[in-house]
Amino acid sequence: MSTSTIPPRPLYPPSPPGIARYREQFTTLGIFLFLGFLPWIPIFGWVDIFDTSNNFGRGNLAFVFAYGAAAVGFNLLVGYSGTLGLAVAGLFAIGAYGTAILTAPSGVREAQVGYDWPFFLSLPVVCIAAAIIGVVIGFPAARLKGFFLAIATLALGDLIIKIISLDEKVWSGLKTNGGTGKQVPQFRIPGLDRELSYYMLSLGALFVAMVAYAILTNRRLGRTLKAVRDIDIATGPLGISSTYYKLVAFGLSAFAAALGGAMWAQNISFAQPATFETDMLVFLLVVLIVGGLSHKWGPLIGAIIFVYLRQELQSTRKLLFLILGIILMLAVLILPSGVASLPKRFRDSRWAKDLQRRLETLTDFSL
Amino acid sequence: MSVVEAAAPGANSADAAASLAVDDLHVAFAGNHVLQGVDLRFTPGFNGLIGPNGAGKTTVFNVISGYVRNNQGNIRLHGEDVLHMSRTQRVKAGIGRTFQAPRLILDATVMENTLLGRHHLFRWGHFAELLLLPQQRREETQARQICMNMLDRFGLADMAHEDAGALSLGSQKLVEVARALVADPTVVLLDEPAAGLGADDVTVLLRGLREIQAERNLCVIIIEHDLQLVTSLCPKISVLHFGEIISEGSPEHVTSDPAVIEAYLGHGFEMEEGGEIHEVEGPLSEHHHIDHVEEESTLEEVWTDDDAPEQEEPS
Repeated sequence: MSTSTIPPRPLYPPSPPGIARYREQFTTLGIFLFLGFLPWIPIFGWVDIFDTSNNFGRGNLAFVFAYGAAAVGFNLLVGYSGTLGLAVAGLFAIGAYGTAILTAPSGVREAQVGYDWPFFLSLPVVCIAAAIIGVVIGFPAARLKGFFLAIATLALGDLIIKIISLDEKVWSGLKTNGGTGKQVPQFRIPGLDRELSYYMLSLGALFVAMVAYAILTNRRLGRTLKAVRDIDIATGPLGISSTYYKLVAFGLSAFAAALGGAMWAQNISFAQPATFETDMLVFLLVVLIVGGLSHKWGPLIGAIIFVYLRQELQSTRKLLFLILGIILMLAVLILPSGVASLPKRFRDSRWAKDLQRRLETLTDFSL
Repeated sequence: MSVVEAAAPGANSADAAASLAVDDLHVAFAGNHVLQGVDLRFTPGFNGLIGPNGAGKTTVFNVISGYVRNNQGNIRLHGEDVLHMSRTQRVKAGIGRTFQAPRLILDATVMENTLLGRHHLFRWGHFAELLLLPQQRREETQARQICMNMLDRFGLADMAHEDAGALSLGSQKLVEVARALVADPTVVLLDEPAAGLGADDVTVLLRGLREIQAERNLCVIIIEHDLQLVTSLCPKISVLHFGEIISEGSPEHVTSDPAVIEAYLGHGFEMEEGGEIHEVEGPLSEHHHIDHVEEESTLEEVWTDDDAPEQEEPS
């Protein structure tokens, strides 16, 4: 190329000088450190549900992190690649059951028998297996669009749960203990008590999922997935195979869903097929859409809102679904980009700009 | 390729020199024959593909880039069969294209949109990306440099980090052309690149295209309705009408071809010197006013006239 005397131009978007450039990374790290120390500084003591000085609050936050981790992957699939794959509940169940079966002791009674693997070996194996299953689900689905895609993946996700709930007599090698449910052997971080251990594990899972999400979506994969979402038809002449990238998104989202599922199983300590049927999908959709599609903090914010509502309305299950439905509708109508988009919406509002101008004139002493 | 050449040594020198050869292309959509035996040879340089609306120009592009399956015929890129390749393989083989309406990610920056064209040339995968490997980072920077140089040629360097959605339609179309060119193609299909562009944007577009064509000996194929642009840019123009090539050759030859005039205006129309059209009796070729039509300027005015009469079905 003959680029002789062109003055150098910035190849990356302009960023503030020095350490301010890493503001976003520091913010993320800071928030996670804060969450990590939250059990010892229970500043949310005034909200019963998230009061981290007791086990109830810690357990609830551990659920928040587990749902959040699964929703991060869901966000990549739905928010970034624009593929409405609804098999997430099934993959969540694979994470829960997979770790339960692999880590269960081998020498116990028939129903609860397992393979006696260490937890940290079973976790990556289960997540990778789920990613492969996610890609397999994606294969027929990547050729479908919109409504048809949603129906196909919903059915395939349900199929996973149906297989899990198969009776011992039908498939004896499965060890899922049919519809009765499976005891989840609990892993404990040495030196921490039970609840605190789940709390830290789930927080770690959310951290891993979010860091991977942030790295991948800010770079080439994020651009490519956006292209698949926005200009699907034009990706061919760019040398981008939209089918391939939809499968990548399916695989990554399945990985995160299984990770979240494994953490969820650790918290709940008993996995049952009935929990994963349509309810779980609705829960994760609420987490994702109320939190904010294709926003980094969306899954965490959505999970906080969801877990709060679920605990608040635990006694009246029907009311919970009614309220979740109303919130989902309101979110789609009023806040299509979710609660996570509120700060930006506020900053962009005329009211905020007006306020800012007034403040500037107030503090302008150069008269 | 060598087999073909050996079989007919020097028999068809135009074939050997052609970057892209389209032979006997037939396409039908549910019985509607859109292309009926189209033969085209595109050589390095600028090639114009023109014709009235619905002539099948974009369909030719769609077959070449793999969006539409043909019923018959074949397409060769530097002697290599294209039709068995997937869309992405065709890009790797060197075919680039743009669309009539720009297709950009509106909430991504101009630079990011341009980088999309470069993605298939990246050697490091997404796993390297996740691990933040320095090699991957270096590759990204190199790609950004190439994209920046390309954007600079089209006068977009200052907007590189603005959202593509904030750009005017003309600039968006320029971004799309830049994106097609950063992929290092050997044949570029431009579908109405100048439609909707302002005069200065067209100047920038043509300057950029001419520079790059000269540097890389590109084969550029342009569909365009602006006849003045096509005739000034392309030494060779093919005219498509109802799925058939009705005229081919230099701009002078094509614009004075009675068949072309008939295709654009239909039977029984004549044109006065002012460009006004009115219906007369009998076919145009028999009419003495044909002499006036030969003037390029007169035809152009009809060409760009939105109120031009509907074409009649050829008998």
